[in-house]
Amino acid sequence: MPVTFHIPGALREFTGGRSRVEIEHSPATLAEALSALWTLYPGVRDRITTEQGQVREHINIFIGDENMRYTGGLASPVSAGCEISIVPAVSGGCENSSVARQV
Amino acid sequence: MIGQMLGHCRVVAKIGEGGMGVVYRAYDEVLHRDVAVKVVNKDARLDSSAGQRLLHEARSSSALAHPNICTIHEVGETDGEFYIVMELIEGKSLHAMSADTGLPPESVLRYGVQIASALARAHDRGIVHRDLKTANIVVTSDGLVKVLDFGLAKQVGGGIFEATTRSFASLQDASSVSGTLPYMAPEILRGDAADYRSDLWALGVVLYEAASGRLPFGGRTGFEISSAIMREIPSPLGPPVPPGLWAIIQRCLTKEPIQRYQRASEVQAALEAVQSAGIVSASPSADPGGPRTTVLHSVQHVHVRKGDFLLLLGTTKGAFILRSNAARSRWEVGGPYFHGHNVYAMAYDGRGGQHRIWASTQSYWGTLLRSSDDFGKSWTNPQQSPIRFPSDTGVSLKNIWQIALGRPEEPNVLYCGVEPAALFETRDAGESWSLVRGLFDHPHRPRWMPGNGGLALHTVVLDPADHRRMYVAISAGGVYRTSDGGRTWTPQNQGIRAMTMPERYPEFGQCVHKIVMHPARPERLYLQSHWGLYRSDNFAENWTDIANGVPSDFGFAMLTHPRNPDCVYIVPVESDEFRCACDGRLRVYRTRNGGASWEPLFRGLPQKRAYETVLRDAITADAFDPVGIYFGTRSGQLFGSRDEGRTWQKILEGLPSVVCVRNAVVEDGSVGFGPTLPKPAPAPSRQPKSGSKSKTRRPKR
Repeated sequence: MPVTFHIPGALREFTGGRSRVEIEHSPATLAEALSALWTLYPGVRDRITTEQGQVREHINIFIGDENMRYTGGLASPVSAGCEISIVPAVSGGCENSSVARQV
Repeated sequence: MIGQMLGHCRVVAKIGEGGMGVVYRAYDEVLHRDVAVKVVNKDARLDSSAGQRLLHEARSSSALAHPNICTIHEVGETDGEFYIVMELIEGKSLHAMSADTGLPPESVLRYGVQIASALARAHDRGIVHRDLKTANIVVTSDGLVKVLDFGLAKQVGGGIFEATTRSFASLQDASSVSGTLPYMAPEILRGDAADYRSDLWALGVVLYEAASGRLPFGGRTGFEISSAIMREIPSPLGPPVPPGLWAIIQRCLTKEPIQRYQRASEVQAALEAVQSAGIVSASPSADPGGPRTTVLHSVQHVHVRKGDFLLLLGTTKGAFILRSNAARSRWEVGGPYFHGHNVYAMAYDGRGGQHRIWASTQSYWGTLLRSSDDFGKSWTNPQQSPIRFPSDTGVSLKNIWQIALGRPEEPNVLYCGVEPAALFETRDAGESWSLVRGLFDHPHRPRWMPGNGGLALHTVVLDPADHRRMYVAISAGGVYRTSDGGRTWTPQNQGIRAMTMPERYPEFGQCVHKIVMHPARPERLYLQSHWGLYRSDNFAENWTDIANGVPSDFGFAMLTHPRNPDCVYIVPVESDEFRCACDGRLRVYRTRNGGASWEPLFRGLPQKRAYETVLRDAITADAFDPVGIYFGTRSGQLFGSRDEGRTWQKILEGLPSVVCVRNAVVEDGSVGFGPTLPKPAPAPSRQPKSGSKSKTRRPKR
């Protein structure tokens, strides 16, 4: 059973417009699933993780209904057929705090 | 061949012949459908490994299930002949349809979107077409585009395509090149490998041909065609071709791959936007400048001409481009670009005759440096951020605070000051960036403290006279200088107070908000600190307090007059705790004697309940005479003065918080000027008086 990524609108530019991407083989962990996603759509990688490979601060990844931050991070197990959602932690309209801090 | 079986297909009739082989109509007797079978010429001289590669590539292409890509059903070999069974498409080639006068723009856009969509799918799967041309594109009777021969060109090499493919006597190694000459990108002619951007060049040629009926780069011989591709600019396409479509074609046909669209999906989006903008049917009698094009939804673009004056605005919700002329009285507003992203840094790069706008964007999805060569109509959106910390640092890029151009004689050099505090440098016009290790590995770095805005290297100042000397300012690390081109760095903070440390005058650690240099006198620098205004007349060896008669020596913005090294502008704010204009009166302060005294400039600025803040890069000066000064505020107002600050006008209001303001005059082949490296001016004859003795009223700290 493939796992399925749900791709947010902001990243569909890098997935050929796809909102769902299926990973054919069965990854054991979230890291493996993401790695397969990068292989298919390399542009998504830098948007989701930093250059040091960490998931960006304001990006949440849910495996099913569970936030990966509470299930073992990138080492979180993924089961066959599961759905993985990538969503910004705070959506729309929120002032970025770093600017507010500038002055 | 007629009547013969190839796999489970019976050959019915010959329907065409090309350089690659013969194409037959056939009938699949298992699946009961009509198919086309291409039998590769025996004289293609494929050795077994080339044959295997052809098979492999054709199999990859067969995975490209896309409505605009001719589906490959099967690839096989019989009696040493390779054959490809594919979807049978009945229609006309785009080449035949475009002949003579070209197609109506509506059709070009409709077909162009489909071709770009097909390329986008292939590129996503790592397949480059390598031989995109109008002859390889078929339009069916119901208007559906089908792109043929995906991925095949790579394997069959030179020599088996159409005659034109073979005619490059000027190439040193034609055997390694495939494609059709008039559609070939300059980098292929230079001997570089084809990549997806070479396909985007070919797409530009296809769109040009479809719109006009002629090729953009012509010639009687292969040499002439190659020469035109390498050096010439195609003749402009006027009405009925809408300017938006022409702009897209031009960007595809940019000689340097890095300056083209970087993805087929970008071209597709741009074509769709022109389609949806409803400007396609603009009558030929329309304004010769053409209607303003909209390449992104709800984004207004400015139509820039030679001699125009631009203001570039970075805000917390995107970027704007304002266009005016030398009169600087009426403004056309373009944007917002990068909806919702922080744009902390912008720069205009006119070096070497280019017209490039740089912008840094920051959002949840990371920080990117992007550029536009068409005044914002399209921007690069690199798949991978080229500014990235090496893995051994363990550090990740948070934001780009400053984009500084290299010296005019080094047009490919740029610097970026970033958060966490570090300096990046490019020597190839932004294609690749490297961390300046001499600064990053400085033993002080672990002891730099984040300022209120984070630990940022926000200012980069180059000495125009000494190519080995430059300065950076770090909040809160202080000023550092290199005198050996970046290899080693020394702290240059002698005389600068640190209000947040027990030691009043430490070697480093001061929260410096801005430093500026006058290019005519590179030994002179001015500095706005977290509590403190200073001048140095000896390359930052030491600093003298010049806060003489300002309401507060706390502030962010600082600017030198482009011609007078004694003249500096600042916009003080009340205090560390209350970072707003003093007493609610928005006032710019100017010294014309190197800081010995300061005068308020406020005519036309709000003087009641104007609790405004002007951030460190939100002020800029043009080089007209008299000089124009422009600044934006955190509340989203933009003010300008055409008389060196004597009187002010509000240019815009209601913007998001303004973080960065830059300016440029659009000239042909000349250097655009910005605040990071103004043109050198004649050295002044007058020395300023030292202003360190007089008393400054400073707020309680």
